[in-house]
Amino acid sequence: MPASGSSSGRAVWAILRKECRSEWRTRYGLNAALLFAVTSLASTSFAVGRMSDRTDVLAALLWVVLLFAALASLAHTFVRETEGHTMTLLRLVATPTSIALGKLLFNLLFLISIELVTVPLFLIFMGAPAPRWGPLLAILGLGSLALGAGATLVAAIIAQTRGRGALFAGVSFPVLLPILAAAVSGTRAQWSGAPVTAELRLLAAYAVALLAASLLLYDHLWEDA
Amino acid sequence: MSAALGDEGVTVEARALTHRYGHRAVFERLSFSFRGPGIVAVRGPNGSGKSTLLRLLAGLLRPSSGESALTAGGRTIPPRERHRWIGYAAPDLAFYPELTALENLSFAAEARGLSSPAKRGRERLRKVGLEGRENERADALSSGMAQRLRLAFALLDDPPLLLLDEPGSHLDDEGRRSLASWIGDEGSRRLVMIATNDEREGALAGQRVELGSRGVGDPA
Repeated sequence: MPASGSSSGRAVWAILRKECRSEWRTRYGLNAALLFAVTSLASTSFAVGRMSDRTDVLAALLWVVLLFAALASLAHTFVRETEGHTMTLLRLVATPTSIALGKLLFNLLFLISIELVTVPLFLIFMGAPAPRWGPLLAILGLGSLALGAGATLVAAIIAQTRGRGALFAGVSFPVLLPILAAAVSGTRAQWSGAPVTAELRLLAAYAVALLAASLLLYDHLWEDA
Repeated sequence: MSAALGDEGVTVEARALTHRYGHRAVFERLSFSFRGPGIVAVRGPNGSGKSTLLRLLAGLLRPSSGESALTAGGRTIPPRERHRWIGYAAPDLAFYPELTALENLSFAAEARGLSSPAKRGRERLRKVGLEGRENERADALSSGMAQRLRLAFALLDDPPLLLLDEPGSHLDDEGRRSLASWIGDEGSRRLVMIATNDEREGALAGQRVELGSRGVGDPA
């Protein structure tokens, strides 16, 4: 039977639940991400102290910590399936688009979980000024969406290749750089009291473009796994 | 909605099917047509392309040239939708080690949009002799039990076409006897294609595909 909308939705939901269950049992990404975030924030805080007057540095530091904390897991989204030989199972139960959407939703949940811990710790450790919560949350939300979509797409593309680790860094750099630039700029602007509309528009447009490209590409991936 | 038995028969066709790994052709211009129900043995020496042929038919691989076709209910099923019409069990099919046997099957059933995934998973595990092992993690199962889990997975959707690659591998004598009886039963209800060089499994087949040099045809 062709995949109907509802059965595709159920496949996405099933894959999201499976990803959550697997992550909860193995703590493959969560522990490493949280350890990285806490260690890097604590060591930076000890080294340079509180930086409440350097919002430009704070904005960059926040996104660097978030990016590297999350990337170790996001980069392996599909590699785990390939190296664990479970890709065949996945492809036999769902369409590539359903698989990728399920993985993307999990990556977004993962990013949000990391941010829930990292952002408050960052504000405390670094002595950051009180943020304007509305703009900051909007930047974090759209930045995470774009970051998750970009990282998931790159991870899907490189999953079948040799030298995946090196390739992920090389391919993801140009894809993720505009997201980082806009997110850092928006985060800095919300601290300085400037409007963040331009950054939000850029992040939203980039996220939509990445999601559209993903939906077009996913069905053509993995045909020769 | 599943592609349940009781629909019109399923037909599997290969039309000048060729597959190459690099410059090496595994098989060239392979053509056949089989209509279910029945049992077809795919035979040939190691490296002759038995597993590759089943992966092509399952839509997991794209052929170098030629095409394979699956027709069910009078409709040609596109490769990307074939997973909903076939049951596939092969040595390259692995399960999530951190999930239990039942969780793996429930996940697969849920992702396919089947009703009562846990109940269905339990029934299939019982059918392959894994009752009582539902809550064991997949990585704790012996290789024989993992093979039974693959067979349970293949039956999950009650599909009109079963593609079984070396289905008796890792099974003990009792398991192989049960498997032969089970394949015989299934072959009366659906089309079963088995890639095997096992004489007991091969003897069940009414038709066969010989890969290598002898072409395609009925058993001699």
